[in-house]
Amino acid sequence: MEKACIDINQLINVFSNYEGAVYQSDKLNCFYVDFGGKFARYNCLSLQKLKKVVEEIDIEALLLNTHRADFELVTFNGCEHVYLLNALEIIALKDLLHGTFTMFNLNHIVNDCLYRLVY
Amino acid sequence: MKDLMRIKCLISEDIETLLNQQIKKEAHSSSLYLSMASWCNQNGYDFSSDYFTKQSEEERMHQLKLFKYVLDMGGNAISPEVTGIKTDFAGFREVFEDALEAEIAITQSFKNLASRCLKEQDFVTMEFLNWFLKEQREEEYKARRALELFEVIGEEGTGRWEIDKHVNDITYSED
Repeated sequence: MEKACIDINQLINVFSNYEGAVYQSDKLNCFYVDFGGKFARYNCLSLQKLKKVVEEIDIEALLLNTHRADFELVTFNGCEHVYLLNALEIIALKDLLHGTFTMFNLNHIVNDCLYRLVY
Repeated sequence: MKDLMRIKCLISEDIETLLNQQIKKEAHSSSLYLSMASWCNQNGYDFSSDYFTKQSEEERMHQLKLFKYVLDMGGNAISPEVTGIKTDFAGFREVFEDALEAEIAITQSFKNLASRCLKEQDFVTMEFLNWFLKEQREEEYKARRALELFEVIGEEGTGRWEIDKHVNDITYSED
């Protein structure tokens, strides 16, 4: 999905790093990952799957293997997006998704403290 | 900002991972008991074979109970791959020793899971786990009692035949 189609002002920036950003749409209950020249839409489950797939990539093995290029195809079943990333980009995507999920946890604690536990 | 992840799922990512690991362990136990049932049957211990077949069904039921809970809470329940099941045993006694060891491992695993729930204050999952913790009392008791038959009856003469005959009589009562 092209970035131009989305009103970026309606999105909440969950987490950003030097390579990309993850946004949340409260209106559509979904997320947008701006990374590697793509602006891709994900639901909760698919974002969790993306994180799992990226986390499972062994960067050390990728760099030490001299028989293949240090590129990895990142996708999963049912995902309409494919990323072809080098080792540095994978590290950046790992960092981006790790930061995003940390922010989700923080947001959960904030929601609990400010709204759910105060009546 | 909406708490979308929480809206989608009651349990945390860590608890979901631990529950999926537990599902795998229960599946492994179920297969191991079936393997024990097979070995016992082939070696003429028919009552023990029935006992382990029943145990296998119980473990499968535990697996499905955990599986349903993860799904009901909005999580991703993973159908596990079960490999490396022991198929050969050195003797009748070793089968029961392995059964007790498997139960001890399962109890320990549930304790770790419960500890994580308390740390996260996930009292919903903790309450769900209480059933399994109680169940482990029975499972370990039965496995230990079965092994004790080897001490009480002895393996000499018709000892193993007697042990096999009495395995199915082991029951657990809280009272």
